[in-house]
Amino acid sequence: MKILIIEDEQELANNITTYLKEQSYQCELALNYHEAVLKIEIYEYDCILLDLMLPDGEGLQLLEILRNQPKQHGIIIISAKNTVEAKITGLKLGADDYLAKPFHLSELGARIFSVIRRNHFGSSNHIHLNELEIDLLAKTAKVKEHLVPLTKKEFDLLLFLIGNKNKTISKAALAEHLSGDMADMLDNYDFVYSHIKNLKKKLAEAGCNDYIKTTYGMGYKWES
Amino acid sequence: MGVMNRLLNKTLVYYSFSAIIILLLSAPFIYYTLEKLYKDDVDEAILLRSDEFTRNNQPTLKITDIPTWNRFNRDTRILPDTVKSEPKNNIIQQVFLDTLVPEWEPYRVLYKEVTIQGKPFVLMIRLNLVESEDLIRTIVWIYLGILFVLLLVIFFITLFISNKLWYPFHDTLKKVEQFSIESNQMPVFKKTRIKEFNQLNNSLTKLIQQTFQSFELQKIFIQNASHELQTPLAIFQSKLDLLMQDSHLQEPQLKIVHSLYESVSRLKRINKNLLLLAKIENNQFLEISSISIKEIIEEVTPYFSEQADGKNITIHTQFKNNFTIQCNKTLIEILIHNLFLNAVRHNILNGSIYITTENNRVTIINSGVNTPLDKNIIFERFKKGSNSPKSTGLGLAIVKEICIRNVWQIEYRFENAMHYFMLVF
Repeated sequence: MKILIIEDEQELANNITTYLKEQSYQCELALNYHEAVLKIEIYEYDCILLDLMLPDGEGLQLLEILRNQPKQHGIIIISAKNTVEAKITGLKLGADDYLAKPFHLSELGARIFSVIRRNHFGSSNHIHLNELEIDLLAKTAKVKEHLVPLTKKEFDLLLFLIGNKNKTISKAALAEHLSGDMADMLDNYDFVYSHIKNLKKKLAEAGCNDYIKTTYGMGYKWES
Repeated sequence: MGVMNRLLNKTLVYYSFSAIIILLLSAPFIYYTLEKLYKDDVDEAILLRSDEFTRNNQPTLKITDIPTWNRFNRDTRILPDTVKSEPKNNIIQQVFLDTLVPEWEPYRVLYKEVTIQGKPFVLMIRLNLVESEDLIRTIVWIYLGILFVLLLVIFFITLFISNKLWYPFHDTLKKVEQFSIESNQMPVFKKTRIKEFNQLNNSLTKLIQQTFQSFELQKIFIQNASHELQTPLAIFQSKLDLLMQDSHLQEPQLKIVHSLYESVSRLKRINKNLLLLAKIENNQFLEISSISIKEIIEEVTPYFSEQADGKNITIHTQFKNNFTIQCNKTLIEILIHNLFLNAVRHNILNGSIYITTENNRVTIINSGVNTPLDKNIIFERFKKGSNSPKSTGLGLAIVKEICIRNVWQIEYRFENAMHYFMLVF
C-alpha cells in the first residue's frame, strides 16, 4: 500500500513515515505544493495525507487537483484547524476523512486503515485474521462462523486495535477514539480498561485466541 | 460610603438653604429700616406742626380759647403745665386709648412748654402710627413675596439649566456604565460645545480605544499562541507514540514515557481550551438554532456515567419541563459538558450528581469537598478549586464566557454539603 504524506512540517512527516513504515505501508513525502503536484501526477497512491494548512492556502488547491483526478485514492486531511466548519468544508471538497492536529499516530493508523479498506474493498469488505472474520459494512465479528456479540464501542475498539496491528496504542488514544466529539472532555481513561476487558472476554468465549496484550501502564497491542 | 447624592440635588439643597437664611435675615432688617424711616417722617411732621403753632397760633391765642382749641384739635392740644411727668421738647412714643375703637394705639408725641398770655402751658402734638404699621407690614410682605417668587424662579431655572447643561455629562456617564469590552462596540458620545465635557469624551474615547486594542491583541495573541503550539504538540505526541513502540524499553523508561504522555495530554487539553476561549471571545460561534436542553443532557449522560463509574457516582436526572433556547449548539453543548464534567471530576467516592431542569433553568448539584468554593474565583481562568492534575483550570472560565456572551446567569452556592451550579437562561 502506498501513502503520500503532504506536510510542510518535516519532523511530523518523518514521525508519521516511521510509524506507518512499520505497518508495512510504503510512504512518500512531499514537503511543499510543487513536490506534491509532481508526485500526484506521476504516481498512484492508496491514501494521501494532506496538510490543509500549507503556506499560501496551497492545501486547498491540492485538494481541488486531487478531486479532479480519476485515480482511486483516499484523502485524509490533517489540519491544525479543529472546527466543525473546517471538517465539513474538507469533506465536501472530496476528502474521505479529517484529522485535527495534534493527533495520536495510532488514530491516524486506524483512519488510514479504514479509508483504504473502504476504497479498495467496496461492498464485500471483510477482514480475515486467523480465526477472526470481521465484516466492516455489517459491523460484525465472527469466530469460526459464530457471531461475537459486540457492542458498538467494542467493535470500534477491535477495529482500532487491528488497524494498528503489533503497535502499542496508548490508553489516551483509545479513550479519545472511543469518545469521538467528547474527546476534549476526557479526564479519566479507566473506562477503556473495562471495554478492553469485555472485548477480551467475549472473544475468548467465542474461542478466539488472546491477541490483545497489555503494555505496562501505557496501553494495549494487537499481536498476531 | 454614605448615601450618594446627585450633584444637582446637592446644589439645590445648598441653594435653598442659603435662600431661606437670606429671607429670614432680610425680613426684620427691612421691617426696622422702614419703620425707622417712617418714624423720622412722622417726627418731622410733628416738628413742623409745632413750628406752625409757635408761629401762627401762639401769638394770637387767648387762655379762654384753649377749651375751644382743644375741642377741635384732637392731636394738637394745649394742656395745663401740671403735666410734669412727661419729658419735654422730645418726641417720644406713647400709647393712647382710641375712644372710637376701644384699643390702645401707638403714637409719636411731642410735649412742649409754651407760654400763652404769659402763663405756662404744655403743648402736646401727637400722630398716630397705626396706619404706618399697616403700611410697613404690607410693604414687608410684598417685598418678601417678590423675593420668594424670585428665589423660586431662580431655583427652577437652576434646575432646568443644570439638567440641560449637565446632559452631555450624564449621557457620557450612562454610556460608559453600559460599556462592556466583550460587546466589541465603541460607545458614541454626544457632541457637546462645552470644553470640559468634550475633553472628557475625547479622553474616554482614547482610553476605550486603547483598551480595545490591548484586548484585541490579547485575543489574537492567545489564538496565535495556541495555533503555534499545535505543531510542536503534534510532533511531541507523535514522537511519544513512536517511542512507545520500542520493545527494548524497560519498566522505568515506560514509566517516564507514561508520565510524558499524561503531560502532553494535559497540554493538549489546555491548548484546546485556550483556543476555544479565544474563539468564543472572537464571536466565532454565530449559527443560532433552537436547542432542547433536555436532549443535550440526555445525549451525554451515558458518556459521563461511564466516567463516573470509576468513583461509583450515581447520576440522577430530572426534567420537570422540556424547554428550548435559541443559541449556538456547539456553545451550549460545551457549556453543559463542562458543568457535567466538573460535577464528575470534583466528586467523591460513592458520591452523587443531580441534574434538574425547571422553568428555563438547569441546576447541577454534586457532592464533593465539604467546604464551599470561593465563588469569586472559581470562574476565573487558571484559578482551580482543587489540585486535580487533570483539571485545566479553564472549564468554568469557558462556562462563564459562554454565559456572558449569551446573557445567561451562572450562580454557585454550597448547601447541605452539596455544590450547586445554577444556570438561568
